[in-house]
Amino acid sequence: MRQLFSFALLSFVSFSSLLSSASAAAADYHEQLVLRPLPLSALLASFNFRSNTSLSEFEAHNFRFFPRSLGQILQHAGTQELHLRFGLGRWDSESWGARPWGGTREGGTGVELWAWLQAATDEEADHKWLTLTNALSGLFCASLNFIDGTRTTRPVMSFQPEGDHPNMTAADTHLLYGVLPHEVVCTENLTPFLKLLPCKGKAGIATLLDGHKLFDASWQSMAIDVKPICPAGAECVLQIELTIDMVLDIDRSKRPRGNPIPRPPPGHELPCNTSKSYHAPDTCFPTDHQANQDWTLSQIFGRTMKGTCPLTDPAVPPVCLHVPDSRSVFHSNGVLEKKNLDRVSRCFEIQPDVDFEIVLPAPEDESAVVVKPETPLLYAERSFTGHGQERGGVQTILHNPSPDTEVEFVYMESLPWFMRIYLHTMSARIQGQTAKDDSLIKEVYYRPAVDRARGTQLEVRMRVPPASTVFLTYDFEKSILRYTEYPPDANRGFDVAAAVITILSPAAYNLRTTSLLCSLPTPDFSMPYNVIIFTSTAIALAFGGVFNILVRRFVAADEGPEVGLAALKKRIQGRVGLLVEKLKKGKTGNASDESGTKPDKLETVDTAQSIEGALKE
Amino acid sequence: MPRLLSSALALRRDPRILKIPPYLSLLCILVGAVWLFLLPLNEYSRRTYISENALLPGQVHTYFGGSDQNVLRAYKQEVNSLVGKSNVEINDKLESIVRGLGLKTARQNFTYHAAGRTFEGENLYAILQAPRGDATEAIVLVAAWENVKHEVNKNGVPLVLTLARYFKRWSLWSKDIIILLSPDSIAGPQAWVDAYHDAHDSSRVASLPIKSGALQGAIAIDYVQENRFKSVHIVYDGVNGQLPNLDLINSVVNIAGGQMGMGVALQEMWNHNDKYPDRLRTMLRGMLKQGLGLASGPHSSFIPYHVDAITLQPFGEGWQDEMAMGRVVEGTFRSLNNLLEHLHQSFFFYLLMHRERFVSIGTYLPSAMLVAANFTIMAIFLWMKSGQLEIPAASTTESSDKDDAPTATTERDLFLPLAIVALSGSLSAIPLYIFNHVPELALTPFFYLFLLINTLFPITLSLIITTLFSPTLQQYHLVKSFSLLLLGMFLSSLATLNFSLAMLIGLLSAPLSFVKPSSSPVSRIVGFVLLNLTSPPAVLLASAAIWGLNVGDILREAAVAWHVTGTYSAVVVWCVWWPAWLAGCVCVLGRPGRDQEEEKSVKKA
Repeated sequence: MRQLFSFALLSFVSFSSLLSSASAAAADYHEQLVLRPLPLSALLASFNFRSNTSLSEFEAHNFRFFPRSLGQILQHAGTQELHLRFGLGRWDSESWGARPWGGTREGGTGVELWAWLQAATDEEADHKWLTLTNALSGLFCASLNFIDGTRTTRPVMSFQPEGDHPNMTAADTHLLYGVLPHEVVCTENLTPFLKLLPCKGKAGIATLLDGHKLFDASWQSMAIDVKPICPAGAECVLQIELTIDMVLDIDRSKRPRGNPIPRPPPGHELPCNTSKSYHAPDTCFPTDHQANQDWTLSQIFGRTMKGTCPLTDPAVPPVCLHVPDSRSVFHSNGVLEKKNLDRVSRCFEIQPDVDFEIVLPAPEDESAVVVKPETPLLYAERSFTGHGQERGGVQTILHNPSPDTEVEFVYMESLPWFMRIYLHTMSARIQGQTAKDDSLIKEVYYRPAVDRARGTQLEVRMRVPPASTVFLTYDFEKSILRYTEYPPDANRGFDVAAAVITILSPAAYNLRTTSLLCSLPTPDFSMPYNVIIFTSTAIALAFGGVFNILVRRFVAADEGPEVGLAALKKRIQGRVGLLVEKLKKGKTGNASDESGTKPDKLETVDTAQSIEGALKE
Repeated sequence: MPRLLSSALALRRDPRILKIPPYLSLLCILVGAVWLFLLPLNEYSRRTYISENALLPGQVHTYFGGSDQNVLRAYKQEVNSLVGKSNVEINDKLESIVRGLGLKTARQNFTYHAAGRTFEGENLYAILQAPRGDATEAIVLVAAWENVKHEVNKNGVPLVLTLARYFKRWSLWSKDIIILLSPDSIAGPQAWVDAYHDAHDSSRVASLPIKSGALQGAIAIDYVQENRFKSVHIVYDGVNGQLPNLDLINSVVNIAGGQMGMGVALQEMWNHNDKYPDRLRTMLRGMLKQGLGLASGPHSSFIPYHVDAITLQPFGEGWQDEMAMGRVVEGTFRSLNNLLEHLHQSFFFYLLMHRERFVSIGTYLPSAMLVAANFTIMAIFLWMKSGQLEIPAASTTESSDKDDAPTATTERDLFLPLAIVALSGSLSAIPLYIFNHVPELALTPFFYLFLLINTLFPITLSLIITTLFSPTLQQYHLVKSFSLLLLGMFLSSLATLNFSLAMLIGLLSAPLSFVKPSSSPVSRIVGFVLLNLTSPPAVLLASAAIWGLNVGDILREAAVAWHVTGTYSAVVVWCVWWPAWLAGCVCVLGRPGRDQEEEKSVKKA
């Protein structure tokens, strides 16, 4: 019986696997790693995993490459399009140039989530949003459940759906955006991320994803994008795209894992500028911080790549490298190198079961070490102005490097409710001019905050003329929180989420500023403690006195029982007499009768005792 | 209880009660002064301790050393070659070095005008971005090209450059590190911090082109000494007597004293034996510096912005080298890097008397408050006294026998006393303006001129008042009452902000409580001479003589402090102390016009 059962199971499994391989053509999956050396010994590694599943199969709960755990959540919460971002560090656009993917696959520091939900009313949308954030919180081990009403906004201009929604109407689709700037992204968020991949972290480029290296990166971003795509004349498919971008510091990554401490190198290994007149064995002017661009894949990621994922589309090369064609790159056996036509990138085709390794030796030609990064369309830097705990200001410096093209964009801030902004103080001016320039701001969408219920939402459509810098400033007031509303580390300050800048023209490009730390008036938390201790003491003393007065009866000294040695003697004599009498009678006394009163040396008598005494009398 | 109240009320009518307040105020002054001298005792001071557990000072191994010393020697050569060059040339060279390290650099121009001089320069600063951070917090490492004594920071600047290069290699920084290389120790850091918080006057101080996050702490290095040093001197006085969090000082004491095995000194007490006299001396020096409220180093400007900062100065002949100093800074930065919250746990109001001994505000504040209370007690006493009719001596003895005889009351004539107090208050703007706006060279002549006028003016004023208005004794009492009331009020509130200044002014103006008009010319002259010895300019002259300083230099420093760092000690001296002194002089020179008063009353009758 048992054998029969296992046979049946086996045949079922093999049948289903046959079925899946037959329909593999419909649901494709591919993954790609793009390595892009950046100036100043940095290396950008972009991992991209993309899979499609047809909408009909998705709705029939027929999951193949699409992760079931995520799919069920999306179905349950009525999510049509989902974007989830985990970010850490900052993109140094001055050195590294334009952001990968045009900035569309990254979020600010912490966690960002935005989704289009299908719901008839706002309340239903809020309810579904709550379901979605709580479910995702469990799935990704992140505090997404803390995205409550105060951290949720409904952007109007900044976000547009990326997918195709043929039967979407504005009335029943709601865009909700939530952000958690204080969330620290770490390995516990990476593990569930890898579990969503068809090959997990066992084969293919995902084998390079090691928590130690990923979270040692200077900048890193993990993104999940789920959107429906409807190609012309074909069935709509649901696409899930998982992206991990990281900028690794080559110097730091090359340090051995067992000895990561940057101890000073021995004197003779120090690269010195020997042209200095004072150069000596014990005096060394170090040569400039150079682009250290010789590395191997295993040095950077701590391991080699274990073959390719067998499920991946073989037409897409799994690894590409952006270095000038003139640089020599060595690779392991079983790998085919293909130089692209643009002369600055090459891709590698890898046998499924080969350990992949590339080696970039120190470049011979110093001029062509890295491909010069693209200049971003806009530089943005945001900081607080003012000091003190009562009010402050925010200043964003927006610089358009282009000599001839004007940049138009939407600047979005979602601020916590305790930063009450004064909208009338918002102004934009061009650097070098003292007067504000009203023509820079084209449109403002502002939804004021409600204390403890929702945050401020500010969207500004504005422009920056070519080759100029614009200062966007506004003032705000800091409100005082209730003392239970402070987090345990209240004196750290409160994180303010990154501003999102969505460039509308000349090209689609996104960028985010860094997050800010806003210090609010914080009470000395030992003060409530002291107050509690002090009032408790006062109450205890007062209560003791009042209680004492209430339960005692005051009598004149001559009215009460006698006090003193004579009285004691008299009592003892009386007791002894009583005892002797009892013994004589040969009876045993009742215990309760025996419980006599103790001699009270005070002038007062306890009520209970006096009652007892009265009864005895 | 009712019996107690009635006896208290009866006591109020007792004429003897009115004799107590002068003695009570004398007692307040004495207790306040003695209190101060008790503080260094073990029973009243406490051992310091690290309150913020996150700091973990001295818990990390420091690695600064080895071949970094070769780099330091090279940087020292570079810095030595720059001595005597212009600010811009120095900054050009330093900027090229810092840029070579891979840091982002920027410059800032500033110009200040004070005492007829122009303080201008260019700050150079660089931001070492935390490798995995996001610019929310930052700590500052300052090396001014010149220290407060205008000596070139020949070791400090190369050390900061080497440390910047060393820090760049670490990936553990949770906060950005800002390297600030300012041309001088006071104006440069002040301009930079003002601009960082956008509190600057943009016509004189340029805005900062690049910024980082909220500043969490700052360490300044003032390392002029060429040969090896013995220990580290911590300078912690901020502008206007504000102090950094005690945890920061404790951390450095712990790291330098505990981990590195080098001593720590405070308040220029190079040899401290932790006995009563040394403790007292340390405390009094600290109080004097706090009371003056001047900037004592590059760190001072940071403290008003709630950025805890100290300056480290190596001193003495010993065997510690630059690398040891670097390790102290490294250890301190590692501790600050550990901070999850802004430093807030430990004390901001304290008096240090040894590197491991302090008194907190709760223990020392009563002394200044008692001194301030003496003025208020006298003011209330004089107010009550002014409301009572002066009864001839014969009738007092008679009426004192009767218990229930009510004290005769009279109306108070308020206009003249209020006018005199208001006049002395408004006149105080003149010395404040003069000493802050006169060019440096004219300061000394102006001071002696002012000293002369200051001596003669009360006599003139008193003469005018007596001849024109012939004030009564009651009006003199009221003048004194109002001026002491104001003094007591200002000093008690100042005591919570700058304890030492309030204490100093309080003790110096203590004689004002006891001046009174007298009928005998001899006692008037003696009183006026004594009062003149404690006048603000006389005290300034005397202290200049004691410390062997030039009065002009002191006044120049005060004017610079007023214009650059915003020190308000001058306001307290000229607008709180001086008017009270002037009112006191008017009282002591007063000749109560009893005769006219009697004539008037006769006419009315």
